[in-house]
Amino acid sequence: MKTQVNIVAVVDVIGALSVKTLLDGNLCMVDDGAFDSAHQGTADLVTVVKPGQVVSWTALAVDLQTPVEIKNISFAPAGGRNGAAPSGPAMSPPGTQGTMTGGTHGQAHGQEESEGDKLDLDVWTGVVPHWMTPGVPYQYRLELQMYEGSNSVMSIDSPALMCQ
Amino acid sequence: MPQQLAIIVLVDVGNALASSTLEGNTYLFDNMKLHGSENEGTGELVTAINGSYWRDGSQASEQVLNWLPYSLGSIPPTVPRGYEVERARQTDEQALAELQELAAKSTVPSSDAEAELNRIRRSVGTRIKTTRRTRGRMSGQKIVDVTGQVVTEDATAAASHPAPVITDIYGEAVESKIMYPAEYGSPDMVTDGWYWSATVDTSRPGTYSYMMRVQLHKLVQTNGELRWDPVNLTCASALKITSEPRRNAFTKAGVGPLPIPPAVRPGRGA
Repeated sequence: MKTQVNIVAVVDVIGALSVKTLLDGNLCMVDDGAFDSAHQGTADLVTVVKPGQVVSWTALAVDLQTPVEIKNISFAPAGGRNGAAPSGPAMSPPGTQGTMTGGTHGQAHGQEESEGDKLDLDVWTGVVPHWMTPGVPYQYRLELQMYEGSNSVMSIDSPALMCQ
Repeated sequence: MPQQLAIIVLVDVGNALASSTLEGNTYLFDNMKLHGSENEGTGELVTAINGSYWRDGSQASEQVLNWLPYSLGSIPPTVPRGYEVERARQTDEQALAELQELAAKSTVPSSDAEAELNRIRRSVGTRIKTTRRTRGRMSGQKIVDVTGQVVTEDATAAASHPAPVITDIYGEAVESKIMYPAEYGSPDMVTDGWYWSATVDTSRPGTYSYMMRVQLHKLVQTNGELRWDPVNLTCASALKITSEPRRNAFTKAGVGPLPIPPAVRPGRGA
């Protein structure tokens, strides 16, 4: 078993900023997990993992010279969002980000700091906990920061982790 | 920061050639303003490079820089690369057609025909003389102004200057092995397939200066022939390197379990 699973979010920043959505092919997520992850190459990636594995997220810009960083990753609370349908581009203006996930540990970072501040120092890595129910996709919100400004943060709620 | 960065080197070629210096005629611009670059759009750009290291002290990422030289007041770089050649070919064809017409019209030489010939000669433009030294992409081509019209010998002031070419990057940052620049070839049509790129060692914070050697081309007329003469000038810039530890964004400390709420059942009906 691989000890680490890497998830890469490839972002067409210019496309996303132009049409104000991460959908329509502006976000493409892939992982290198060993167990048949579903929806590779889409924004609905379901990464199949095992407890104890390390999951690591990185963002890459298609246009190499347009910086994009992960602003936050937060997991949905109980009964929150559901189903395979993406819940839309869910743009959150900076400062009011990610309120749907109130109470989870995932949003620990970002609020007290100004946008775009040292996000490049962040390493989004964590161990898959043993308490996940196998076969259930745990959706998470991925927030991406593309440079700065009022529309610079976009998020998507459709990707998920699922225990084998 | 693992992402590549660009530094635009915009040169006012006409003025730089007239005053034989890049000082005051160069505008530098990078995409690191968010990370602390200073003096964007001036000749005094200080490029901010944020290095990072892992918790054990080892270097986390280097930085890749790309320099892209552009010319102010030339044919825009977005125009296809073969544009000048295409324009030259079109004027040749036009001149041939006009000559044919003239030949058909008059069989006896007259002053009219002479004036007409002169007009055709002017509209066909002037080709750059190729010497062994100046052989290359600009040799044998016609001189074109910024609107794409061919230019004749007596009106060369309107000529579009060829884009500046960076021929070397050297100085403190290179000598102290902070950055390792090299020229690369690529299928990039905008920069004519060649560009300078460097990898920056971000483990030694500080401000380091560097120099760019930039080649411009001056249109000169000798013995009735036009040539692009290379003019080598230099231009200084600087890198400001900082270095900070990378941190786990979930825990703000070491690696821990993912913040997935325990004892919940996401996905209704599961």
